[in-house]
Amino acid sequence: MRQAGAYSGILCGGISGRTGPHLLPLARIKKIMKKSGDDVKMISGEAPIVFSKACELFIEELTQRSWLVTMQGKRRTLNKEDVTSAVLATDIFDFLVNLVSET
Amino acid sequence: MVDEPDRLLPIANVGRIMKQILPPSAKISKEAKQTMQDCATEFISFVTGEASDKCHKENRKTVNGDDICWALGALGLDNYAEAIVRYLHKYREAEREKASSRNKATCRSSPEKDEKSSEDKSGQPPQQTEAPTARLAS
Repeated sequence: MRQAGAYSGILCGGISGRTGPHLLPLARIKKIMKKSGDDVKMISGEAPIVFSKACELFIEELTQRSWLVTMQGKRRTLNKEDVTSAVLATDIFDFLVNLVSET
Repeated sequence: MVDEPDRLLPIANVGRIMKQILPPSAKISKEAKQTMQDCATEFISFVTGEASDKCHKENRKTVNGDDICWALGALGLDNYAEAIVRYLHKYREAEREKASSRNKATCRSSPEKDEKSSEDKSGQPPQQTEAPTARLAS
């Protein structure tokens, strides 16, 4: 009997760009990776899959931190300024400071 | 502002991940989702850049999962690095299992094309000649 494991979606979907169990499209991730630098020539099949998970964790963490700011303001709508505040308050998100300050 | 939507992660997917982690009553402004889209895309570029530098220094052409794990650690994103190392391990295990079950399927593919031929008395009923992989799936 076939049991659906955590990666059954991977087995069916592969990396053809379908999301499968991944929350983010692998083809798009691959495109972004390629654009990140001229040095990036070849990307292994597992790299976009790894990033799909890493991005999920990243978005979750930044969202949770932003939501804390929202709650401090006694609001129920998470807005852009909350995300900016969370970035500025978190050392490991220093690489985003210029990005959030531009807009 | 966004001229090339293809250069960013899709806003619907980003929004879904945000929604999942927040309380059900929480609302998210469109601008917040757009900012998160930008940040997550930049995250990929940033980590990839670091991973790619490492590959370049080591004269390797292909950025792989291990390089990404390393880059996450090198950039101070240690908690992500640990989680992703575990995830990568499970993924590779799943791939190995898939490959080995595929091998077993090709080994078991029955040579019985002619129902009358009884040279191979493996005891398998004739209807199982059609789809050995389907048999595995049942």
